[in-house]
Amino acid sequence: MTLAGKRKAVIGLTTLGGVIALWFLTTAVTGLVSGARFPSPAEFWTSLSQISGRGYAGATLLSHALHSLKLVAMGFAVAVLTGVPLGLWMGWSRRVEAFVNPVFLIIRPIPPLAWIPLAILWLGLGDAAKIMVIWFSAFVPSVINAFTGVRNIDRPVLEAARMLGTPRWRMVREVIAPAASPMIFTGLRLSLQASWTTLVAAELVGALVGVGFVLNMAQQDIYPGMILVGMLTVGVLGWATTVILAWIERRALAWNVAARD
Amino acid sequence: MGSISFRNVDKTFGAGAIKALEGINLEIADKEFVAIVGPSGCGKTTCLRMVAGFEAASSGDVLVNGKAVTAPGPDRAVVFQQFALFPWKTVRENIDLGLRNKNLPAAAREEAIAGALRLMSLESHADAFPHQLSGGMQQRVAIARAYVLDPVVLLMDEPFGALDAQTRVVMQEELVRLARRNPRTVLFITHAVEEAVYLADRVAIMTRRPGRIKEVLDIRTVRQSENWDSHPKIEDVMDLESFVHLRTHIWKSLREEKGFRDV
Repeated sequence: MTLAGKRKAVIGLTTLGGVIALWFLTTAVTGLVSGARFPSPAEFWTSLSQISGRGYAGATLLSHALHSLKLVAMGFAVAVLTGVPLGLWMGWSRRVEAFVNPVFLIIRPIPPLAWIPLAILWLGLGDAAKIMVIWFSAFVPSVINAFTGVRNIDRPVLEAARMLGTPRWRMVREVIAPAASPMIFTGLRLSLQASWTTLVAAELVGALVGVGFVLNMAQQDIYPGMILVGMLTVGVLGWATTVILAWIERRALAWNVAARD
Repeated sequence: MGSISFRNVDKTFGAGAIKALEGINLEIADKEFVAIVGPSGCGKTTCLRMVAGFEAASSGDVLVNGKAVTAPGPDRAVVFQQFALFPWKTVRENIDLGLRNKNLPAAAREEAIAGALRLMSLESHADAFPHQLSGGMQQRVAIARAYVLDPVVLLMDEPFGALDAQTRVVMQEELVRLARRNPRTVLFITHAVEEAVYLADRVAIMTRRPGRIKEVLDIRTVRQSENWDSHPKIEDVMDLESFVHLRTHIWKSLREEKGFRDV
């Protein structure tokens, strides 16, 4: 780790420690914030032990978390596998753009969460509805960024590939997609964020398992400790998946990251 | 064989709003090195882009070996001012793409790549990525990528314009060695007068927009009679009276053009 990196890590840990200390002070030590509004560290720990061992809302934390993770992974994957190719295609062909863009312009301003009622109506409270809603929310950033990535490719790079007699499919795979990949990854990061946001919202509204369902039950039970457990679980899962994506990006774009340095 | 012909070529951009080229006539013979110089915006790069197949003439014919150009292709290799390498491919992969597109067997490709790397002194950088190389090295890769195709004509669009002065001189000397040893048809676009005189067999001077060919100077006859190639260093050639004479002639011719700014 570089010196600057170490410094940053120390500062980050200090901030985190400060927040925890403040939490401890305001709830457990001074009682400034009552336990009915926000749990003390001890209450949080009790809730965490309960859901990890005996379980809460019908399952253990691990099962809830894995279920949510599975839905995000599936919705995100479907969105990326459909959105990135469509974005690349729209970027490559003015005609495809002309066809798709009007539909896109109408659908795009609809918040992904507004699809939830329709999804539940079509597919019920099960996994399919949530995957669909995640798909819709994660689809848009994937498409737009892949599209922009293609449109921003330096013209000489495309001309060089054409001059070299590159056939169509190889052009897409070895020139267009890699040239657009920095933007594609930007899209993937936004898509991943959108996936988590949408998942929790969808599980809050209608679910029988999952982290959002834990949050919903804890609210009905007036159980602040468990609400915090649910919130932090989402935070940790979102953070972990972002780290994995960043790792993949660093490996895939080694040629680009080094160029930026 | 690799001749290039411009026959009464006009080019207008934007539905006739801008007339870029007017009545271009130029015949470039097989294995001839022709440089086009002209004021900024005179359309010299457009000439090259029409031979490459990136632009179509508005009227008239652009022919390579007597056949009209319709699309870009590996028979007309282009070296771009901004190198236009594929940054996600190594030097070797950059050079290999054109060969793979020709569906050559692996052994033949290996041999051709090795030859191109040797030609441009890139052997020790074969597995580097472009961003790890200096500008001069990157342009070497681009030239190797073009040469390896064994093109009918080589199109160079201000290839040394983005290089620093010292690197440029080295590249110019190297291109001269390359072109004399292994002559092929080259269309070379530049705004640097010395570069044109030093490299080319003939220099075509263009007017400001709409670009026309004002004058074509024969350099080769002078080069041969004054034995320029016996001087390995560019600065020695540039000191020769015959060189200075030609250079001054082109400078004056360009200066007559209104709108002459940064030749």
